[in-house]
Amino acid sequence: MNKNKLVSILKHWQVTLVIILVIGSLVAIYPRFEDGKFTTNIQYGLDLQDGTWLQMEFKAEVVGFQTDRPYEEFIGDLRDKLDADVYLIDDNRLEIRKFFTREELESVFSDAGGTLTSYEQGVSRATAEEVKQILENKINTLGTKDAKVNPLTGLSGVTHYIRVELAGVSLAQAKDIVGKQGKFEIRIHTTDNQTEHVLYGDSITSVGVPSRQPGSQVWGVSFSLNEEGAAKFREAAIQYGAVNDPQRHNLDMILDGNIVYSAALSDDLAAELAVEPIRQLYASTGTGDQGLTAAKNLEVHLRAGALPVDVTVAGTGYVPAALSDYFKMMCLLAFVLATIAVGITVYYRYREPSIVLPMIGTNLSEIIILLGIATFIQQLDLAAIAGLIAVLGTGIDQLVVITDEVLHEGKVPSPSLYKKRLTRALSIIAVSAATVIFAMLPLALMDLSNLRGFAIITILGVLIGVTITRPAYGQIIMEILSK
Amino acid sequence: MGLIGYDVNKYSPRQMVTIPMIILLLALVSMGYSMATTGMPVNPGMDFSGGTAVTLFTTDSAQEIRDVFSGYPLLNIGEGVNNGKYLRFGPMDDAALQSLATYVGEKYPEAKIDQIGATFGQTLQQQAFIALLFSFIGMTIVVFLAFRTLIPAGAVVLSAFADIAMTAAVMNLIGMDLSLPTTAALLMLIGYSVDSDILLTMRVLKRQGKLDEKLAGAFRTGIIMTTTTLAAVVAMWVVAFAGQITVIWEIATVLIIGLLIDMMNTWLTNAGIIKWYVLNRGGK
Repeated sequence: MNKNKLVSILKHWQVTLVIILVIGSLVAIYPRFEDGKFTTNIQYGLDLQDGTWLQMEFKAEVVGFQTDRPYEEFIGDLRDKLDADVYLIDDNRLEIRKFFTREELESVFSDAGGTLTSYEQGVSRATAEEVKQILENKINTLGTKDAKVNPLTGLSGVTHYIRVELAGVSLAQAKDIVGKQGKFEIRIHTTDNQTEHVLYGDSITSVGVPSRQPGSQVWGVSFSLNEEGAAKFREAAIQYGAVNDPQRHNLDMILDGNIVYSAALSDDLAAELAVEPIRQLYASTGTGDQGLTAAKNLEVHLRAGALPVDVTVAGTGYVPAALSDYFKMMCLLAFVLATIAVGITVYYRYREPSIVLPMIGTNLSEIIILLGIATFIQQLDLAAIAGLIAVLGTGIDQLVVITDEVLHEGKVPSPSLYKKRLTRALSIIAVSAATVIFAMLPLALMDLSNLRGFAIITILGVLIGVTITRPAYGQIIMEILSK
Repeated sequence: MGLIGYDVNKYSPRQMVTIPMIILLLALVSMGYSMATTGMPVNPGMDFSGGTAVTLFTTDSAQEIRDVFSGYPLLNIGEGVNNGKYLRFGPMDDAALQSLATYVGEKYPEAKIDQIGATFGQTLQQQAFIALLFSFIGMTIVVFLAFRTLIPAGAVVLSAFADIAMTAAVMNLIGMDLSLPTTAALLMLIGYSVDSDILLTMRVLKRQGKLDEKLAGAFRTGIIMTTTTLAAVVAMWVVAFAGQITVIWEIATVLIIGLLIDMMNTWLTNAGIIKWYVLNRGGK
């Protein structure tokens, strides 16, 4: 190829754009040697990286309901009948934080004077976020390097699963971390900054969500004690004089050795405690947004790392470091061999290096641009690699369509006819690209599916191909073949 | 180049369509049979039915491994080249799984562990089904919008459907399970399948010239498209087989089967129908 030809190829803006994008992508991927190991900026999913994933299912449900009774009464009734936490999450849906089948709930709802209109296992988005926060806190305190916690929320806004990915952690370790609870204790001030033990976290039977007492602007969290805990609480309050002089005998809540909350008994509570043990307590945190935030934190602390909703492990997986490196090597090898195989097949048909080389080059630039974009938005797991292969396959298919369309019996037509034919080829490509994109769209939108990466990579690859690289190939091939 | 000896213009539309339609019927019957006996048209693999799998590389014999895991519900051991072993376990509770994970970590620190709960598997299965269904509907809508005529668009959709149904039937026949990777492969097949079908339909309907020439030209291009894809997939298959990358191997196997079936469906089913359509409508 002579110099003039190269220059005239580069003059086409489509070609220039591809070159700029390839360079940009290489910068984004940033292949380099670090500590004697080849590394890039590409993020790998857990099947190509040492680590563990845990997918947990919420043992709770979000249900729609109808009732003629006042909501407060109805929900209170349900709470008693189900012996579970029940919360109103929007105008007509409840979150029930315990597992029941639809049939069980239907009978309880009708007993309470209402009807069940919908049923979906899972929790509200807000609860899922709270669980996420608790899990992240736990993981952070253990200093784990690289952790991701993703609630998987369906289109209805109900979160059925939550997925935890921990890089560099074994399966047994990961389960320990997620299941581990902190040590929670309540202590009471005696004299001269001395404190005495009152009760441990195992005496707390349930913790409410941040709320305001009726007619008050003050936020807080309610929690209840078991009978034994309530007795201990009363005993300590009387023994150390908090009942008579609350202000001088603050109660401290301590999680893993840190004081997370400290306040005095209210006068009302002090008076009640003098008479009998109280199981239902309320810790206030202040007014406004600040009070709400403090209440949210206190709720997490009161749970001491326990989740507000029971979860069961739905699925887990662990890939050791050596195996993940091996997988990466093999994927790369498969990719290189596939490219060579494509090269040989295309060469066998056209017998013309000046067609085959731009074809393979276009295909590779497509993959590089795709990887470059993927470094920002999508981690590569085995499913996403399958997507890369799909892109490689359809990519070469469509380059063949362009080549055969514009070359009639091996000859290159005049520029005007060429343009017409290229447009026709591109219209064939656009239709098949549109079918692939629409075929993959449901997978990309379905949040729960592990195949999401596959769909995103495929769609992205097809888009890049149709809008950027394949038109450029059309220009290159014309310049090369025109005599 | 191409399938030596096949001339796309030699046979009448009826002759072309008969063979694939008989095969499609057999495929549907076989899936119907397995639906009636097992409740699923295709065998669900571990991803969908739940279970625990351990992949490891060891020179220990199968018997030795059985002894090592005697305390756990080991179902079977698959062996590959390179001393790769694939162990499948029956259902276990959380505690047993935790102890298995610890145990595997001690005995074979290089082992990969996967576990899918039965209900989670069911959710995944439903999703895979919905994904396949919606993909197919999406594809159908685009094809109908692009061609706007019933028969040519129907032919493309029919041959894509036949590709997936026949491939699924062959998977049943050779004992391949439906897993997340094979679902992905079936979806990829939708894409590959319509590629050559659309080329054929566009060439025949939107180009001027004799029908015979257009068919022959489309056939030449279409066969290179499929053979290049096939070449890439076979290369992957070889690497994945030798290297025991189950996921890629499964995808490659399904794609090889599917691409071969697609050649038949494109150049017999679709070409037959479009030829009949043009001849009977005196198409332009």
